[in-house]
Amino acid sequence: MASVILVRCVRGARAVYHPALCLRQGGGGGVRPAAAAAATTSLLARRDFWQQRLVQAPGNAQCVQWRRFSDLPPLTPESIQERVFHVLKLYDKINPEKLQVTSHFMKDLGLDSLDQVEIVMAMEDEFGFEIPDVEAEKLMCPQDIVKYVAEKKDIL
Amino acid sequence: MTTSRLPPAVFTLKQFLQRQKVLGLYRSMLKTIRQVPDDADRKYLRNWAREEFQRNKNASNQDAIRMMITQANMHLDDLRKSLALAKS
Repeated sequence: MASVILVRCVRGARAVYHPALCLRQGGGGGVRPAAAAAATTSLLARRDFWQQRLVQAPGNAQCVQWRRFSDLPPLTPESIQERVFHVLKLYDKINPEKLQVTSHFMKDLGLDSLDQVEIVMAMEDEFGFEIPDVEAEKLMCPQDIVKYVAEKKDIL
Repeated sequence: MTTSRLPPAVFTLKQFLQRQKVLGLYRSMLKTIRQVPDDADRKYLRNWAREEFQRNKNASNQDAIRMMITQANMHLDDLRKSLALAKS
């Protein structure tokens, strides 16, 4: 997905500099300063990088961001919790209404150890890092998982 | 025994170790299945592994369990070898 955004960004940047395409903004001479001014105002107007989406065609310089950072959005404990809940809700053996932060997988949600293994694997997939067996078997409720991920990612 | 995968019933040491082995095996199985290139194959294999483990969940004869562990290891090795061949 990052590559799609980067491609669009490059296309957009090139379009802004391309004199022929900039004609769409109106006017032949002084196209470049006009386009640059449009781009800087749009940059100032929209500071939120990762919520930016290129809605219109690359030729339209008004929607182009000059810079994109292809990093992921910053991890906060809330976002980790959200993602954990999202993954858990997708799991078919869990009843989404019963799901709480402190609901124990085995005692409250009625899962067994095989399910717990699957859940931890799903978390590994979601957050993109390996969880060793020793740690994995201790994760028994969403709270534990959130705490563990936060520790591993050095944000707590 | 401070691990929290402990179920309500109490196990002997051997049973406990066997249980940990089975769970570790399930984990390795899932990890290997993750590397399968085709998505449909991956789903099929995951369901297959899930069914197999769930079906024999309540086996209590230790020897039978040991046989099943060996079988699962064989399957796992087969899978790994096929993956290695597919990649090369």
